[in-house]
Amino acid sequence: MNLYLNQIAAIVWKDFVTELKTRELLSAMFIFALLVILIFIFSINLSIVKASEVGPGILWVAFLFAGTIGLNRSFMLEKENGCLMGLMLVPADRTTIYFGKLISNLIFLSIMELFILPLFMIFFNIDLLSHLGPLLVVVFLGTLGFCALGTLLSSLSANLKTREIMLPILLYPLLIPIIIGAVRMTGQILDGTELADMMKWVGLTASFDIIYIGVSIMTIDHILEE
Amino acid sequence: MESLENAIEVRHLRKAFGTLKAVDGIDFELKQGEFLTVFGPNGAGKTTLIKILAGLTRPSSGTAKVAGFDVAEGHPEMRKEIGIISHATALYADLTPLENLIFFARMHGLKQPEDRALKVIEEVGLSPRRNDRVRTFSRGMLQRLSIARAVLHDPAILFLDEPFTGLDLHATNVLKEHLQRLHDRHRTILMTTHDISCGLEMCDKVALQVQGKFAFLENITDIDKDQFESIYFDAVRDNQFAMKIDF
Repeated sequence: MNLYLNQIAAIVWKDFVTELKTRELLSAMFIFALLVILIFIFSINLSIVKASEVGPGILWVAFLFAGTIGLNRSFMLEKENGCLMGLMLVPADRTTIYFGKLISNLIFLSIMELFILPLFMIFFNIDLLSHLGPLLVVVFLGTLGFCALGTLLSSLSANLKTREIMLPILLYPLLIPIIIGAVRMTGQILDGTELADMMKWVGLTASFDIIYIGVSIMTIDHILEE
Repeated sequence: MESLENAIEVRHLRKAFGTLKAVDGIDFELKQGEFLTVFGPNGAGKTTLIKILAGLTRPSSGTAKVAGFDVAEGHPEMRKEIGIISHATALYADLTPLENLIFFARMHGLKQPEDRALKVIEEVGLSPRRNDRVRTFSRGMLQRLSIARAVLHDPAILFLDEPFTGLDLHATNVLKEHLQRLHDRHRTILMTTHDISCGLEMCDKVALQVQGKFAFLENITDIDKDQFESIYFDAVRDNQFAMKIDF
């Protein structure tokens, strides 16, 4: 068990050191998410439309699109120079590769989201601070589901020539339950609903998170194999 | 590795991609410490053979045992016993040699990964460049670092897939010296190459793979090295001709 956790930690460490040196992933995701929000903010008249109604959708579109860039980049790094082959040759259970990449993606995406949320608050003139706790729970649940499925599918699409196109085509339809849950919960939180009053949505999103992680554990070995 | 008579044992091994037979009924065994060189034209299935033996892809039929483990089972313990050097270096370009090797040492579960990484970096003569990004390295330096990665966990069996590709004369000599050292340390080595002189120089057995089959497998002592080039071309021509008649 110790070795298993050490191997996961090693993959996360490697991804962090790479990102610290290149600064490619976080900056690309942040700029993309910011641009999405800016485009929407200029196309919506907030004096007519209620920010708490359109805001959640826009926020999650920004997270999803920016996150997809991150996912594509994540396994491209492993394909470069045959690094994935090197990883597959180590005496590790191949779920370590999945969990290592999942945790890295989750952390990078969460960092990007932590920078985007204050800007979203300013642009949409929404008070997020009074709902910060429940909002972070919802953002975490949505992001976990996105990363759980996205990591699996990016490992699958990494072997394809059309990986940039295939990843969103495969990913977005399967993410619908999570996105619906995350958008609905974010909207309700901005309207002042307590987290305890939306446990149905929390349960739905958490269930899909667990299902995606479970499916990934069962299939990652076959997906990584050529 | 436990003391096994055969480090590698292959029986009726086949791998097909649709109608293409990349490996088509190969049989051979290698004892511990033996060095087999596999020659063959492009597309003969040499890389696929190595991928099967390394557990990177499953055979369509037949069996292959490496270090006593059936490769189809994908046992992690088997991967402790093998190392691979191929044209793909399996190194992260934005990390330094030291970071790369510390990472792989941790993945192998080695104790004191930094010490082990520093030791193998020194062995391949890259100590002065250990903190430079791998992206800045020449092909020869990358291949030396690739050797360091492959031998980091001191595997008993090494697979080398065309390791001389793209190397200059100096880098080729450095690689040959390393291989000789590993052979002297009784490591079992299976190497594919197009370089006839390099391939024949160190090996104990020679095979020639054409159209997925071993057209030729002999001990090095049983063949005339000077005549090998003509044996090679005859075997390739005959087998390709035979395949055309089959169709």
